[in-house]
Amino acid sequence: MDPSDPREHGGDGQPSASGDGAARPAAPAAPRPAEHPPAARSRFYGSPLPRTSEDDLSGMLIVIEGTDGSGRSTQIALLQEWLESNGFAVQTMGLRRSNLIARDIDDVLAKNSVTRMTLALMYATDFFDQLENRIIPALRSGMIVLADRYFFTLVARAAARGIARGYLHGIYEPALRPDLSFWLNVSPSVAFEREFKKSQVISYWEAGLDMALSNDLFKSFIRYQSMIKKEFENLAKRHQFVKLDAEAPVQTVNRELRKHIGEHLRIKDLSYKPSSALIHLWR
Amino acid sequence: MAPESTIAKPRAPQDAPDSAPRQPERPYPGALVVVEGIDGSGKSTQLYLLKRWLEIGGYRIHFTEWNSSPLVKSATKRGKRRKLLTPTTFSMIHAADFADRCERQIFPLLQGGYLVLADRYIYTAFARDASRGCSPQWLRNLYSFAPIPDITFYFRAPLEIALNRILGGRPELKHYEAGMDLGLSFDRTESFRIFQGMILDQYDQMTATDNFVLMDGTVPVNELQQQMRELVQERIDLQWFAPDSAG
Repeated sequence: MDPSDPREHGGDGQPSASGDGAARPAAPAAPRPAEHPPAARSRFYGSPLPRTSEDDLSGMLIVIEGTDGSGRSTQIALLQEWLESNGFAVQTMGLRRSNLIARDIDDVLAKNSVTRMTLALMYATDFFDQLENRIIPALRSGMIVLADRYFFTLVARAAARGIARGYLHGIYEPALRPDLSFWLNVSPSVAFEREFKKSQVISYWEAGLDMALSNDLFKSFIRYQSMIKKEFENLAKRHQFVKLDAEAPVQTVNRELRKHIGEHLRIKDLSYKPSSALIHLWR
Repeated sequence: MAPESTIAKPRAPQDAPDSAPRQPERPYPGALVVVEGIDGSGKSTQLYLLKRWLEIGGYRIHFTEWNSSPLVKSATKRGKRRKLLTPTTFSMIHAADFADRCERQIFPLLQGGYLVLADRYIYTAFARDASRGCSPQWLRNLYSFAPIPDITFYFRAPLEIALNRILGGRPELKHYEAGMDLGLSFDRTESFRIFQGMILDQYDQMTATDNFVLMDGTVPVNELQQQMRELVQERIDLQWFAPDSAG
């Protein structure tokens, strides 16, 4: 067995007790923060965040997932305006935006000097820093949090690189369950076309070049994004994503999003037309 | 990373005195020796002396320290200085640091047939982060990619003795080091005392479950080092790491 491969260590967050006593669970020790009875649906997936109460989280957490080129940022900008015009306060989050470690991730990505487990854990650190310092305080003050990707993308990317899904879900056990998760689904070739149009280049990491799938950038991108998509198919079932066809026009996708969110927030009038600041996105 | 090691290792000791294998079966030809214990337990001094002994003998060794990866260092520093860390992010950022050393040093060196010496290992995280309130199961999963040590020396000194060694020499305790983030006491020294006591309890509980070799931190340094060297010789086939071995 490759010592780096946690696939050998049991599934679903449960460390295996196999062999030489490798990953045996620790002897019951420190007083654990409030244990949840299995019946009660906690806002956390598993063991809750230490020193965090989930009782007063009155806001709503909405996750928008989808690959680059799926129109995530566009939809989030539009949703924020729509929600604000309806009187809801909005907070946003995304990957690599934490005060703690975002710039270090940028750094190692630029230098291409990082290995897969380290990168996965740096992203997890970035995620939890935002969860604890941005999302939870916002939810506590009753805001709507629009997450431009959540840990699902991080699980998909790491799993595509061979890190066990059970291990990854174990790491994100203290994360909050979103109230609504959307998956803006596009085919890899449409994603390629949109990304290329936008920036005239395809990034090393978006093409999965670190995985040595192909020396041909286009082929590598398509293969890598297909692998990510497969991971998302699994995640969609496990986490009840609302899957939307993001190859449809912006207006159509936005209408779907407003329908689901409006239902949740009991917004009766779902009509919306972007302000002059955002009208250029409305196509 | 290579999925399997290509280097064969002679398993049978040269002059097998008994049938018991000297080294547990591992998927790599190297060996891993770690030291654990609270601050002031004497572990770093002892590992240093062990390292010198092996270095002078010309053995193929590599020494690695907790919290030393250059990739993650600046984030850890920033987090500590600006007090940005929660129990969860404190734990995660150290796991990232550890992963970097594992992926770029520990795994490849174990596969390449090195004797790796580690000053603190995953048990430091288990003891410290569980004291901070992280779930032990969560921590075990987080570090489940780590290779299991061939020997884990646990240096244990009574709390008061360990505290006196630290507090006598260096009264400048840092925020997280003293456990100030836990609100145990407004007094930094008092907070440190309580926190170290909690960590000691955690270590004690792992002694049996994680096969620690208990080392009495009150024994004179040279005697303790003698015990340590004897144990290493007994448990690890040092011939394999000797300068004239094929490698």
